[in-house]
Amino acid sequence: MQALERDLCRLLGAQRVVYEPDALLAWECDGFTVHRSRPRAVVLPDSTAEVQAIVRLLHAADVPFVPRGAGTCLSGGPTAAATTVVIDLSRMRRVLRIAVEDLFAVVQPGVVNLDLTAAVRHLGLHYAPDPSSQSVCTIGGNLAENSGGPHCFKYGMTQDHVLSALVVLPDGELARLGCEAGSRPPHALDLPALFCGSEGTFAIATEITVRLCRDQESVRTLLFAFASMSAACRTVSDVVAAGLVPAALEILDQATIRAVEASVYRAGYPPEAAAVLLVELDGPDFVTAEEAAEVRACGERHAALRIEEAVEPQERARLWKGRKGAFGAMGRLATDLYVLDGVVPRTRLEEALERIAAIGRRHGVVPNNVFHAGDGNLHPNISFDGRCPDQTARTIAAGHEILQLCVDLGGSITGEHGVGSEKLDHIGMMFSPADLDVMARVRAVFDPDGRCNPGKALPSRAGCAEVAKWPQMVARVLGVEDGA
Amino acid sequence: MTASHEPHSAHELEDLLRARRGRIRLCGSGSRQDRLPPPGDAAVVRLARLDAIHRLEPGDLTCSVGAGLRRDVLDEALHRVGLELPCAGGGTIGGLFAHDAVGASTAGGAQPRSLLLGLEGMLANGTRFRAGAQVVKSVAGFDVHKLLVGSNGRLFVAVQMHLRLRPRPRAEAWFRRDGLEAAAACAQFAALRALAVPPAELHLQRTGSQCVVAGRFAGRASFVAERLRRLALPEAEPWRTLHLEPDGSGEVLAGIVLPSRVPELLAALPALPFLLRGGGRFELATASPAASDAALGALAALGAHACVARGEPARRGRGTTLDPGAERLLAGLKRALDPDDTFV
Ligand SMILES: Cc1cc2nc3c(=O)[nH]c(=O)nc-3n(C[C@H](O)[C@H](O)[C@H](O)COP(=O)(O)OP(=O)(O)OC[C@H]3O[C@@H](n4cnc5c(N)ncnc54)[C@H](O)[C@@H]3O)c2cc1C
Repeated sequence: MQALERDLCRLLGAQRVVYEPDALLAWECDGFTVHRSRPRAVVLPDSTAEVQAIVRLLHAADVPFVPRGAGTCLSGGPTAAATTVVIDLSRMRRVLRIAVEDLFAVVQPGVVNLDLTAAVRHLGLHYAPDPSSQSVCTIGGNLAENSGGPHCFKYGMTQDHVLSALVVLPDGELARLGCEAGSRPPHALDLPALFCGSEGTFAIATEITVRLCRDQESVRTLLFAFASMSAACRTVSDVVAAGLVPAALEILDQATIRAVEASVYRAGYPPEAAAVLLVELDGPDFVTAEEAAEVRACGERHAALRIEEAVEPQERARLWKGRKGAFGAMGRLATDLYVLDGVVPRTRLEEALERIAAIGRRHGVVPNNVFHAGDGNLHPNISFDGRCPDQTARTIAAGHEILQLCVDLGGSITGEHGVGSEKLDHIGMMFSPADLDVMARVRAVFDPDGRCNPGKALPSRAGCAEVAKWPQMVARVLGVEDGA
Repeated sequence: MTASHEPHSAHELEDLLRARRGRIRLCGSGSRQDRLPPPGDAAVVRLARLDAIHRLEPGDLTCSVGAGLRRDVLDEALHRVGLELPCAGGGTIGGLFAHDAVGASTAGGAQPRSLLLGLEGMLANGTRFRAGAQVVKSVAGFDVHKLLVGSNGRLFVAVQMHLRLRPRPRAEAWFRRDGLEAAAACAQFAALRALAVPPAELHLQRTGSQCVVAGRFAGRASFVAERLRRLALPEAEPWRTLHLEPDGSGEVLAGIVLPSRVPELLAALPALPFLLRGGGRFELATASPAASDAALGALAALGAHACVARGEPARRGRGTTLDPGAERLLAGLKRALDPDDTFV
């Protein structure tokens, strides 16, 4: 045991410090399993004061650290290098305050997304951002990733729901970003908005104030099955053109439907359908009934093979089960799953999907799609065997081209999963060295020494970033790069 | 006399910034300059000519506009395609976001920060940069564009802005209740905020000892009609007052308060003209700088934040104490993005 580990044990007790190599396996990667690396140690604090004390120790020893929630990130965000200490916040899972009239809750960062809603359900309230991983992922991770979910179309991303955060800066000092009353005092900048999506590279959030939403009187979920993906996309266009703002607009393609139906997430989707569209409407009962009739008419215009409508919570949950479990179901098809996260303008979805299929064919992989159709946020999923370098290389090469396609169509390389370590080589597709330099300057305000989650979100020499050629990237990911 | 420039394009602006030595005050239409400290000897750079609508995609619910585009011009273009920018405020689009004077219109309503998807900006030395994206969702890169909101032109120039839009509601109706005692007005305001679908806009104004609660329901025609009927709210003309005017040597404070603390605020600062929006932003008119300082103390005790928005030029921006850690970050951001303190 080295001096640092000894100091950490003294601070937290030996039970809450992990440094034996075998025990560190659990922190070796996140949901992006291509990148694996065991950290130097893992610490499990219980309070802001403990996080502060840990960070001060690490600061004095000049040791980098990585904050971590549940580790469900899909871009390598919480994966730590061998020299780095992981600060695992999963024990900090108390809901500290619920303000019903003012519609907010103050939580510790390790509170699981769905547990927050469970804690306020009896008050007729819920926390709106709902990543599909919501039964596991934490509010701290959601904040750091600016996570989205199916209900973003109407309710927005995590950023739209964060009012304030207490953070421990990399030198151990505290800062309260924003205020409970509404994120930005009139004589300050919107620091919570800036912090949101900083991927653990600015500071560690130890107390987060989030907006709560009132439950709606009625929620209707409609399922449409179509004979073509094009019909599903056009139905979405018609719904948007009609001026409707459903809470969610989600599409699954045939391969995903079949994977779901063959899994424990079985939802009764018709396996012969080329696409399933889920539309959710919420509001007063008579309003959702009127809107449902309009949405049905859109689906009928595009020759929906089947339309189901659910109002009862149990029935609605069944329709959602397949969508929420889609990644899990896809994950059973092979040893590894590469979940992509590109965004295109919604009106270019059809074109994007056709070109993604062509990219897959060219690389001998099959991208299956489940996506937030209202936002144009695609999740092409590629199942592959990570033990086979050739399959891995082809998977990553296809992913690279798909993200380039999203950018070429006017979109983004990531809609909600973040850049992490996965997309460091892609960020130059969207941003010039000058853009990245401005971002690096902003990051340095929080973390001048670059010790907070180093090597994530921005290339380390941001000013020199360029789009890497995919063979270089594959080499890096596979760990066969020079010097790796 | 202060120099004044009005670049016609991003290129002209870039040349101007690269050539310019000395301080600069950025200005949109100029409608909010009376809320900022005086520019002193700074050159005024007006952005009103950067007023193109570069892109309007109704199917994607997004557009890209020059920061100097006037709000009313954008509104007209959006109305033609059945869309709206769901936040209040006038002047230029750049100024609206940079000043962010009114915040969200209602409980849980869209805040300007949610509507700003990305931008093309320029640092004081003319360096161009981009942040965010044109699409409704992107988490690539840090959200530097969100720093525009509330920056009052002191960090960088927004040249082009990418905005999120919403379909225009099919129907809307305004309502208004006059002559309410403060307690009754607060109760009405809280009840309306507490609705599962609150009014799209909500205002509470106190003048003397009387209060008004006004607002706007928006959505389907059947919904709007049902709301007014069920809540027995009298229909009214649209509410136009977004700001208070200072009286003589008085000042206007702009702030933000938790709705649950509004009754205490009204009791602690009796008789001061007060204007509150559903999202929690308020304005309070005081009779003198000394009265403002006393009010700032009372507001801080209620957990509210506020600052002098209008009054003696030297006092504008003076406000409740911010968290020291946040102060340090705010100063750091200014140094990082405008190291020569060019933008005043
Ligand atoms: C099956 C599955 C489905 C998913 N569905 C969605 C989806 O629908 N939408 C979506 O957006 N994402 C989705 N994700 C991705 C993931 O769940 C989210 O990114 C989530 O927010 C990560 O939370 P976490 O607690 O697991 O954080 P982690 O994975 O542990 O960490 C994520 C990042 O946050 C940082 N971090 C964590 N806590 C803190 C803190 N307190 N302070 C500062 N930084 C911190 C870490 O350093 C890391 O960079 C999905 C993932 C899986 C596996």
